[in-house]
Amino acid sequence: MRAPDAAPLLAVDHLSVDFGEGAPKALSGVSFELRRDEVLGIVGETGAGKSVLARSLLDLLPEGGRIVEGDIRLDGASVLGLNEAEQGKLRGARIALIGTNAKALLDPVATVGAQIARVLRAHRACGRREAWAAAVDLLAQVGIVNPERRAKAYPHELSGGMAQRVVIAMAMVANPDIVLADDATLGLDATIQVQVLDLLVKRCRELGAGVVLITHDLGIIAHYCDRVAIMKGGRIVELGEVGRFLQGPRDDYSRTLLDAARVRPTPMAGQGEGAAQGMAEATHAKPLLDVRRLEKFFPIAGSTEVVRAIDDVSFSVGRGETLALVGESGSGKTTVGQCLVRLLECDGGGITFDGVDITDMPAKEFRPLRRRLQMVFQEPYVALNPRWPVRALIAEPLRLDPGLNARGRERRVRQLLDLVHLPLSLADAYPHELTAGEQKRIGIARALATGPDFVVFDEPTTALDIRVRAQIIDLVRDLQAEIGMSALFITHDLNSVRSLAHNVAVMRHGKIVEFGETETIFAHPTQDYTRMLLSAELPIEQGLLQRDRAEARRLAGTA
Amino acid sequence: MTVAVRLAGFWGTVPRPLKIVVSRLFMLVPQLFGVMMVTFLLVRLLPGDPALLLLGNMATPETIAAFRERLGLDLPVWDQFLRYVWSALHGDLGTSIFTSQPVVSDLLERAPATLELITYAMILTILIGVTLAIVSVVRPGGAVDIGSRIYGLAAGAIPDFWIGLLLIYFFFYMLGWAAAPFGRIDTFVAPPPVVTGFYTIDSLIAGNPQAFFSSVGRLVLPVLTLAIVNAGALMKMTKTVFADVYRSDFIRHARASGLPERTIRRIALRNCLPPIITLVGFMVGFLLGAAVLVETIFSWGGLGQYAVQAVVNSDYPALQGFVLVAAAFILVVYTVVDILYELADPRIRV
Amino acid sequence: MRATFTRYLSRHPGAVIGLVLLALQIIAILFAPWLTSYSPVEADPLASLEPPSLAHWFGTDVSGMDIYARVIYATRINLLISLTAVAVAFVIGVPVGLLIGFYRGWLSSLVMRMFDFIQSFPIFVLGMALVSVMGQEIWNVSIVLAVLFIPMFARVIRAEVLSLRERPFVAAARCSGATDFSIMFRHILPNALTPAIVQISISVGLAILLTAGLSFVGAGVRMPTPEWGLMVSSGAQQMILGVWWVSLFPGLAIVIAVLSFALIGDMAKDLSDPTMRDRR
Repeated sequence: MRAPDAAPLLAVDHLSVDFGEGAPKALSGVSFELRRDEVLGIVGETGAGKSVLARSLLDLLPEGGRIVEGDIRLDGASVLGLNEAEQGKLRGARIALIGTNAKALLDPVATVGAQIARVLRAHRACGRREAWAAAVDLLAQVGIVNPERRAKAYPHELSGGMAQRVVIAMAMVANPDIVLADDATLGLDATIQVQVLDLLVKRCRELGAGVVLITHDLGIIAHYCDRVAIMKGGRIVELGEVGRFLQGPRDDYSRTLLDAARVRPTPMAGQGEGAAQGMAEATHAKPLLDVRRLEKFFPIAGSTEVVRAIDDVSFSVGRGETLALVGESGSGKTTVGQCLVRLLECDGGGITFDGVDITDMPAKEFRPLRRRLQMVFQEPYVALNPRWPVRALIAEPLRLDPGLNARGRERRVRQLLDLVHLPLSLADAYPHELTAGEQKRIGIARALATGPDFVVFDEPTTALDIRVRAQIIDLVRDLQAEIGMSALFITHDLNSVRSLAHNVAVMRHGKIVEFGETETIFAHPTQDYTRMLLSAELPIEQGLLQRDRAEARRLAGTA
Repeated sequence: MTVAVRLAGFWGTVPRPLKIVVSRLFMLVPQLFGVMMVTFLLVRLLPGDPALLLLGNMATPETIAAFRERLGLDLPVWDQFLRYVWSALHGDLGTSIFTSQPVVSDLLERAPATLELITYAMILTILIGVTLAIVSVVRPGGAVDIGSRIYGLAAGAIPDFWIGLLLIYFFFYMLGWAAAPFGRIDTFVAPPPVVTGFYTIDSLIAGNPQAFFSSVGRLVLPVLTLAIVNAGALMKMTKTVFADVYRSDFIRHARASGLPERTIRRIALRNCLPPIITLVGFMVGFLLGAAVLVETIFSWGGLGQYAVQAVVNSDYPALQGFVLVAAAFILVVYTVVDILYELADPRIRV
Repeated sequence: MRATFTRYLSRHPGAVIGLVLLALQIIAILFAPWLTSYSPVEADPLASLEPPSLAHWFGTDVSGMDIYARVIYATRINLLISLTAVAVAFVIGVPVGLLIGFYRGWLSSLVMRMFDFIQSFPIFVLGMALVSVMGQEIWNVSIVLAVLFIPMFARVIRAEVLSLRERPFVAAARCSGATDFSIMFRHILPNALTPAIVQISISVGLAILLTAGLSFVGAGVRMPTPEWGLMVSSGAQQMILGVWWVSLFPGLAIVIAVLSFALIGDMAKDLSDPTMRDRR
């Protein structure tokens, strides 16, 4: 690492932003500096003001937002109060922004080559042909194979990871001094996330640019950043070297954040062996759920071929046992879950639940069984009917219980709210009035309403803030211990699996490629694919260790 | 099997634009068939003898008998329908009771008048509607934005025939600026020789400035009437579409990448093109209906006025023919619109 | 709830105007005989084409009928035709749209194709032909408009259902044991209604304009029925001669009627959506 320059590349000085008179400040008194060749991480939960900060640096605040105080200096010169033309010379040229969900950041009706060329010509006088050639060259630099052909592709023809590379190429067009990456890898698979971040940091180091990495993932901070700023409620509560921060945060809030982000202790530590024994017994005894050679195909539009979403999958889950189904997007793990609760009809194989074959059971006969076989849906908000109050949402599955009258249902709703640690006052709220964590809890309460024997959890921790994620994991663990239900966890988040599941099945392309006890898989994976998944994880614990290794890998130039 | 596979393979090699055009044209055939079914049934809905209705009161028993024979009225309905389709495809839509001319030649004679009116009205509608929409989105809260909001609300509520009459009152009767609302050209000016049927274009071809200015003058009020009412609807819908695009992530990203505002506006407009094309297609259908009213007011002598005459005089062959031609015209417009839409949006799979 | 409504009105002057205009029409419908002493259909050849005066507030038409009385009484006819047509179209179109959106099979496709055909005709042209074929009666105008509007409602609802049925909350409801019926009517329909409500206001406005337009070209109700379009038409010839009052007032009545439903439609849209209620 170089010695810091005399004048910092970027200096933000007591920056405050609000949205109209009297409104609470979105940013208040934010100060930090960024030096050349430095990666500064900014972490915070939803609403902490991370994105507002990024956008205020480019003078692109959302409608109504304005800077009320403070200064932003680039190489010592203030950039506030520049006119439109001067801003144009700044944006994309000296400060480049890489945003979330790259596919939405690209013009859907123009080829990616043309889009890069467009940006190029905005910053440098050159002909169309020359710009196109430069665009192809940039695509090659961000590791896109066959750049000539890919340049002619439209955004919808690219994968998420590829689109993110295109956005990075676009950001690198004018060799910027500063790159702002605002949750640039959100929603990407872990393996792709590592590739994209490796590429981003490597390219910036080559250019000597300063990078601001905005994220909600402390793992990313631990692995990629030199310094870190923790944001809460529009303020920076802590700012310092990453190594120091990981060893002992000074601020209370950052400490809770770090604690919440750490991998929870090994699941049911005491039960570890018991569970293994239980497993052994379960294999002898009748399993609660038994899936044999399950198959599900989806037709490809305009073709006679099919996608084999589930391709000969077998597993079983005993009573009181939790199995995690792990895989990247498109591996078929969610499809398996949907087949289990009969949201999809499978095309082959069979499912037995508690000795009853439910594979082709008519919907009418299956309906009473739903009491015992429930599912918690992935996205908390969209899985709740926006027109129904919480009370009605939780009471809905209770109708499956014919022995329960209106008053009984009402009592049960209150019990369930209590079970998932929500106040009774929420019973009359509508889903849009709840936070993501509360919505998730409602989803769990709905699934548990009928006291099921088996629950499928689809991505229980995705898209949740650090602390909420930890709370949900704790809640589920408590429930497992209290109720003793069996569960299937469908997830791509290996860290959460580690604290929740007895066994793990790794899925890829519709097949289970590895199966075993959780700790065994983590300690000694046998398949290359599993090893790759594990190496893409960015646990904080290994952050300091892996930092050196990652640095070495980046320097070696593996993109 | 192999044939199907080979065909599928061949289809795969066809370039995308050609694929779009061919598949759309293919779908036009059953649609036209359906339209003919509706127009056929239209006259069947009438109580009484279709032969009598289609020939009018002046028909003698002999002509009625001959006509029954030709329509095949004693045959099953299905056969009658096929006969109707057969003669329609051969350009025979019967004879108008009112004009005693073949309906087809009546329609052909009047079609250019309506097309000319609709074409200019469409162009003006797009100019007003799209411009207002863009300006009010780019400068929200500005005078244009507020003005266009009020205009959009009002335009949706004003009957076109009423605004036409008001325009005549103000610009013809009171101010004397506009030409008289009697037809497409002054009575003392000879219409130009027919090339396209559009007086404005034909008079330019013939090098006849007098006819040109006369026909342009006559076009002003009816075109304005149609545009005032329809531009409001187009503006409102375009505004919604354009505002969505203008606020979208990729436009914000383009701005963060330092693209100039002019380029950004062009990108946003290009992204709105597919929905705007669809809207314009719908507008043509609307304009055709509105033309019926406006032609009546301005004695335009086009298809719309012909249809009104047919209704007033219970001239069913003429009415049936007009409905068929109008629906076929709209179907062709929709087909063109669909083709353009798919060409403009690379995300559509074909 | 009431507080929300008052607050909404204070922020949306358009909604207030809409409600006031609607109140005017309701008064005209209920109290027509008390609002004027003239008969809406009685001709007075001696008082032909009199300009507005104290005796005839809006003047008289060619046959000497009092225009003010006719405008007031026509409210009944015009709104009766339009509201009946839209009500029938709503009651039939919404369930049909719900069914063909929820169950996808050959029957649904067939119904959809049928709607495509109906809608491929320019609406005014088909309306004109149908009314002319069925006979120019008030009820026939209503029936024809209803037939033309059914596809619009069905289509709007179907489009909503198609996207709603893929939403996770429907899958979640199924897991909670909801039956098809419950999913359709308790889960999907409430979420699909907002566009249908918007469609109601658009359709009522369109129905008023179409009714008037049909009468205007002589393809709707006949003289001497007091009907706005017919009244505008009866003054059309005189407009060129500077007699403005015969057409002006019934035209204004049409504008007021259509405008009020458009404004109330906007309000209903905002108020029917719980996620919108508190915002703005």
